[in-house]
Amino acid sequence: MKKIRSIGAFIQRIWSHKQGKIGIIMVGFLVLVAVLAPLIAPYDPYDVSQRAAKGLPPSSHHLLGTSISTGQDIFSMLVYGTRVSLIVGVTSGVCIAFVGSILGVAAGYLGGFVDSIIMRIVDIMLVIPTLPLVIVLTNVLGRDFWIIILIFVALGWTGLARTIRSLVLVLKNSNYVKAAELAGASRWHVMVRHILPGTSHLLIMSTALSSAGIMVAEAGLSFLGLGDPTAISWGKMLADAQGGGALLFGAWWWILAPGLGIFLAVFSFMRLGIVMEEIANPRMKQTSSVYKIFKSLDSSYIADVFNSMDEYEQLGVTESAGGGETRETNA
Amino acid sequence: MKYTYVIKRILYSVFVFAVVITLNFFIPRIGVDDPAERYYPPQGNMSEIEYEIIKQVTRKQYGFHVSTWQQYTNYLEGLSRGDLGSSFRPGSPSVLGLILERLPWTLVLSVSTMLIGLITGVLFGVLAAVKRGRWQDTMLLNASTIMIALPSFFIALILSFYLGFELEVFPAYTDPNMVSSFSWALESIRRVAQNAALPVLSMVVGSVISYAQGTRNAVIAVTNEDFVLTARAKGLKQGTIRYKHILRNSMLPIVTSLGMSISGLIGGQVVIEQVFNWNGMGTLFLEANNSNDYPLMMGIMILLSGFTIVAILVTDLVYVLLDPRVTVGDKR
Repeated sequence: MKKIRSIGAFIQRIWSHKQGKIGIIMVGFLVLVAVLAPLIAPYDPYDVSQRAAKGLPPSSHHLLGTSISTGQDIFSMLVYGTRVSLIVGVTSGVCIAFVGSILGVAAGYLGGFVDSIIMRIVDIMLVIPTLPLVIVLTNVLGRDFWIIILIFVALGWTGLARTIRSLVLVLKNSNYVKAAELAGASRWHVMVRHILPGTSHLLIMSTALSSAGIMVAEAGLSFLGLGDPTAISWGKMLADAQGGGALLFGAWWWILAPGLGIFLAVFSFMRLGIVMEEIANPRMKQTSSVYKIFKSLDSSYIADVFNSMDEYEQLGVTESAGGGETRETNA
Repeated sequence: MKYTYVIKRILYSVFVFAVVITLNFFIPRIGVDDPAERYYPPQGNMSEIEYEIIKQVTRKQYGFHVSTWQQYTNYLEGLSRGDLGSSFRPGSPSVLGLILERLPWTLVLSVSTMLIGLITGVLFGVLAAVKRGRWQDTMLLNASTIMIALPSFFIALILSFYLGFELEVFPAYTDPNMVSSFSWALESIRRVAQNAALPVLSMVVGSVISYAQGTRNAVIAVTNEDFVLTARAKGLKQGTIRYKHILRNSMLPIVTSLGMSISGLIGGQVVIEQVFNWNGMGTLFLEANNSNDYPLMMGIMILLSGFTIVAILVTDLVYVLLDPRVTVGDKR
C-alpha cells in the first residue's frame, strides 16, 4: 500500500511538471493506439491483395495513402506498427532495468570476486561493436520477436549495471545501511530492502530512456531487414518503402508516416525520461545530458543511453566511486 | 605512478582483446552443426554419396575437418601472423584484403562527418554558451531534443528523397562505377565528393548537434567554476578569460566524446551505407551476414573491437596527460 502511494506520488510529480505532462499524455496516447489497433485501423494491414489500390496518395479513403508495391493501407500499418515498437521497447527497457539493477547491486554491495567478474564482463561488452553483434546474434539465434528482445536485453544491461554499481558503492557507506548491518540484517535483506530502493529513481529513468533507445535500435534492425519478418514494424515499413520505389515514384507519405511514428514514440519516452531525470536530480535542469543518446543509430546506441547517465557521476552524486576499469578515468 | 598506470591499462586492454577474439570465434558457431551443409545446401539432382563428397571437400577447403578446438588454435595462429583467414566467397579472397579494399571508402564518410561535425559543433556550442538563455541557446536545445528522436536513416531517406530525387542536386544512390573507376584525378575526386554528399549530410546533422550540446554544457560548467570568478576578480580581460581559462578547460569532455566517436569511425554507419548503397565496411558486413561468410564476419568484428579498444585506451591515456588529477589516488 505504501509502495503504491509512493509510486502515485512520483507520477503526480511528473504530472505537475509541464514537460512531464506532455510526455505522459503522449505515451498514454501511444499505448491506447497499440491496444485498440484493430478498432482504429480502417483496413487490414496484412492485406496485400488490393491490386486496385496501389500507390494511392492520401485521401479520405486512405488517410495516409497506400503502398506502391502491395496496396496496403499505410495508416493501418502505422497503427499496427505501434504495437511492435512499444512491446519491444518497453519489454526490453523493463528487463534491462531488472537485470541491470540485480547485477549492479550485486557487484557494488558484495564486491570482491562477484564485482570483478561482473565488471570484466561489462568492460568486454562495451568494446564489441553493438550493431554488428546484434546482427550476428540474429543470424545465429533466429529473428523471432522474443529472441530480438532477448538480444537487446543481453547487450543492454551493461551501462546501467555500471551506473547502479557506482551509486551502490556510495549507499553502502551510508549510515542507515551500516545500522542495518549492525542490527544483524542478512546481506540479502540489506540489498533488497535498503540498497535497491535507493536506486529506484535511476531505474525508472533508465527504463524510459532505454526503451526509447531500443525503439530506435529495433527500427534500424527492421530497416536492415533483420527484424521479425512476420511483424509489421515502422523500420520494416521504411525498408519496404525504399525497396518498393517510394523514392523514385514520389510516394512521400510512405516514408513520412513510419518516420513520424518512430519520432513520436521515441520523443515521448525521452521526454518522460528527461523529466524523471530532472525530478530525481534537480541540479541538472535544462542542461540535459540526453543529447548523447541517439546521435543516430551508430553501433553504440545502447551504450550511449547509459553514457548519458554518467553525467550523474560527474555531477558528484557518486564522487568517491569509480566506474568500470576502462572508463574510470572518464568518470 | 603514472607509468604503472599506463602499463596496467595496456595489459588490461590486451586481456580484453583476447577475450573478444575468443567470443568472436565462438559466437557464430552457436547452433551450427555442420558449416559445410550450411554453406553448400543439397542440390536437387545430387545423390547422397556425391553430396557427402562435396561436403568433405568443402570442410577440407575451409578447415572444418579438424576439431573445433583445433580450428580455434589454427585461427589464433593465423591471427598472430596478421592473417584473418580467407573468405567463403568464390575464389577464397583473403579477409584482410576485402576489408582493406572497403576501409578507405568508409573512412571517407566517417572522417569527413567527424571533422565537419566537430568543427561546426564546437563553434555552435561556444556560441550557445556565450549567448546562454538567448534564442541561439534555446534553438540549440530544441534542435537537439528533436534530432535525438529522429533516427539518422530516416533523415537519410528524406534527404535522398528530396535532394536526390526531387531536386536532383546530389545522386540519391552511390554511382556503382565510382569505386572501380577511381583514380587520383580531379574529376574522379569530385565525383566521390558528390556521391558522398548525402550520406555525410545525413550523419552530420546529428553529429553537429551532439558536439554543440556537449560543448555548450562543458563551457557552462567551467564558467561556473571558482577559478573563473577569481580571474574576473583579478580584472583579466574578458577575451583572456574566455579563451585561456574557459575554453581550454572545457576541452576535456570534448576529447572524451571525440574518443568515443573515433571508435565508431569504421563500424558506426551500417545503416547509412545501406541506404545509399555505399561501398563500405557496413555493406561488406551485411553481405557477409547474408551469405553466412563467417571468416569475413569474424574478421570485421575483430577489427572493429580492436579499433575500439585502442580508441578507448588512447582516450584514457590522453586524459591522463590532460588532467593530472586522474591518477592521483593509487587505489582506484
